[in-house]
Amino acid sequence: MALMPKRVKHRKNQRGRIKGKASRGNKVVFGDFGLQALKGGWIKAQTIEAGRIAAQQYVRGEGRLYIRIFPHKSVTSTPLETRMGKGKGEPEFWAAVVKPGTVLYELGGVTEQQAKVCFARLAHKMPIPVRFVRRRPA
Amino acid sequence: MAEVLQVKVREEVGSRAAKRVRQAGQTPAVLYGHQLANVSLTVPTDQIEWAIRHGIRMVQLQGDIRDTALIREVQWDAFGSHVLHVDLTRVSASEKVRMVVPLELRGEAPGARQGGITEQLIHEIEVESAADQLPERIEININELGLGDAIKLGEVPMPEQVTMIADAEEVVVQCMSAVEVEEEEAEEAEVAEPEVIRRAAEEEDQEKD
Repeated sequence: MALMPKRVKHRKNQRGRIKGKASRGNKVVFGDFGLQALKGGWIKAQTIEAGRIAAQQYVRGEGRLYIRIFPHKSVTSTPLETRMGKGKGEPEFWAAVVKPGTVLYELGGVTEQQAKVCFARLAHKMPIPVRFVRRRPA
Repeated sequence: MAEVLQVKVREEVGSRAAKRVRQAGQTPAVLYGHQLANVSLTVPTDQIEWAIRHGIRMVQLQGDIRDTALIREVQWDAFGSHVLHVDLTRVSASEKVRMVVPLELRGEAPGARQGGITEQLIHEIEVESAADQLPERIEININELGLGDAIKLGEVPMPEQVTMIADAEEVVVQCMSAVEVEEEEAEEAEVAEPEVIRRAAEEEDQEKD
């Protein structure tokens, strides 16, 4: 099941702009290796789930996968062949707003080689360029 | 082992000057401690990055300033690939210092072969020791970690003359069965749309309508 907030203040969000780079959430914190976004963008809840499945099929029973992003933003759309006006469309999907540098997923309890293979599978699902990162020196 | 850094005193301060320093292959740094005046420095980027990536803490400063210093804090760029700035503190070899050092697992847990997942919960701890005795890392042997077992901070063997500054009861590494982990991650029943948080006044209005 795709991720979604339990309670929200407003059903519909404005689109917004992605400015700057990630100053938080840009380090590997929970696991040993991570997948870092190199560009900004919206990542759909379904995409996050697809990535999770791709990674967990590989690490099943060995490592622990951490998802570091959450889809807080609702994205609306109007149906096809609708005339202009009549207000904002209905929520279509939920997305996570990602700035360049954000760590999207983390993996612990596996070797570096396994983590690289796992994240390579996961990276195919991502709509933005990503790279493999290690924990920063303390 | 103390790494030698060729430092120069930096007259210009501020973000634009720091940017120029970085473009010239140097990294801005500051030296403080021992109740002496702070000094703005530049250090060669390749030397400081090498020292940081090899876990070296004690550095020998040469050039405009001759002193022994400890790498206290490192600022990274958003991608964690380049060092932006380094804080150095003056230390003498016998002086007691507190630093955060990484905890690294060594070996293979027998519990992992029985279907368990080895999970490291704490990756670094604060320790106190003489500056020249500061360990680069603390290693934890997990060769006897069975399924359902855990190692607490109090059970981690510390090098001589190194004191740990942390709660000894905290779990560092555990081996949980994969089923338990999956249950923990199990999601709740599917909800079509999230609940909208409304103010009490709005709710009353809706009820009247």
